[in-house]
Amino acid sequence: MSEKVSVKVCLGTTCFVMGSSNLQELIDTVPKKYGDKVEVSGVPCLGLCSIDWEFSKAPYVKVNDEVIKEATVEKVLKAIDEKLK
Amino acid sequence: MFIDIDCSQMKKYNQNAYGDYFISKRYPDEAKLIAVLSDGLGSGIKANILSCMTATMLLKFIEGDQIPISKAAEIIMNSLPVCQVRKISYSTFSAIEVDDDGNAKIVEEGNPEFIWIRGNEVMKPEFRSIPSKTFKNRCLKVYRINFKLGDRVIFCSDGVTQSGLGGGRLKLGLRREGLITIVQDKLQEHPDISSTELAQYIVNQARNIETDRLPKDDISACVLYFREPRQALLFTGPPYHQEKDAEYAKMFDNFKGKKAIAGGTTANLISRELNRPITMDTTISIGKLPACSYMEGVDLVTEGILTLTKTLEYLDANTPDIDNAAGKLVKFLLDSDCITFMVGAKLNQAHYDPALPIEIEIRKNIIKKIANVLQDKYFKKVNIQYM
Repeated sequence: MSEKVSVKVCLGTTCFVMGSSNLQELIDTVPKKYGDKVEVSGVPCLGLCSIDWEFSKAPYVKVNDEVIKEATVEKVLKAIDEKLK
Repeated sequence: MFIDIDCSQMKKYNQNAYGDYFISKRYPDEAKLIAVLSDGLGSGIKANILSCMTATMLLKFIEGDQIPISKAAEIIMNSLPVCQVRKISYSTFSAIEVDDDGNAKIVEEGNPEFIWIRGNEVMKPEFRSIPSKTFKNRCLKVYRINFKLGDRVIFCSDGVTQSGLGGGRLKLGLRREGLITIVQDKLQEHPDISSTELAQYIVNQARNIETDRLPKDDISACVLYFREPRQALLFTGPPYHQEKDAEYAKMFDNFKGKKAIAGGTTANLISRELNRPITMDTTISIGKLPACSYMEGVDLVTEGILTLTKTLEYLDANTPDIDNAAGKLVKFLLDSDCITFMVGAKLNQAHYDPALPIEIEIRKNIIKKIANVLQDKYFKKVNIQYM
């Protein structure tokens, strides 16, 4: 696969307090594991919490176009693995 | 004109309270400012009480506008009690009332004469003397001056002019001439130095010439600087009417001065409307705040509520120079004179989910609190627009 997998960690207020502050470790760990096949970055806000608020699924992470709700490091890594298959 | 004012103080050594008292207040409606510096007799708590009472009472008298400043000062001069031990007055004072056009009235009793600098030359203003009817050794000086852009005024307590007194090199202390030399040299070097920095510099220099660098008296320096205001704009929160996004983005873009955005949604809005990409800082956020982002034409982009809450905390506690997003926002605000807040009134429902682990304040309230502390504590001019 030639396309890079893009991982966007939402660092907006809701996601940040709901745990995306811990997801920032991905910025360090992912390049170590996958090299330059995956690109991880923070984004100011994905704008998802204001749409999805009734179900409160923050923090959100986007792996390519797939939205991961209640994201954890494990969930994100699993999603990356699937994209790289 | 903007009047940049600040005061720096140092206690007499071995004392735990300041014997000089400085108070300043801006009156945005009347476009004027009043500042008072008082030096209480003696030092420590006693002097603190005396100077605090004199300064606050004089400020109240002047702001009342019922009587002219010279009359207010005269009444205070005539009624200040005499110390039983030293037979001199309880406290001395200097006060200035000045509007944004530079029209100033200044009164002085007992404090060292103020220094007025224009084009790095010391000016000699005319004054009227009002001798006290009740006390022979008291005399009020009243000045009427029209200050111009670039002028500087320095008030100080005798702790500055008498620093180094009796020491090795300066037998008579620093005196007025010494202080003028220090200030002129500094201004030669840094013509645009802020009042905060100049006041701190004067106080530190005065301390440095004291024997063993221990102040023998309370040291205070108050500096006024008449200059063009430094404008800043902070845009936070998405506007209530989404259809007006483009209009607000244009307002933001057209603003002349420094610009900051606090809020992810707000940053996205500006990015979308002005077609400018956002890049996020790749470093991992320090502590409990999300990192800053970058956008062309914007000086600072941060997260919203959490950063603003922390910013208020730093402003309240007076802790600048902290290396995180809120620290940067504090610096942004303090490096400006006139600050406009564009506050979007739209609420993000997700912030009110009780499952959220910390208290998230309502944006309007936190901005109001930040505005108050900037106005009252840092003497900034603040303007809030809700959208």
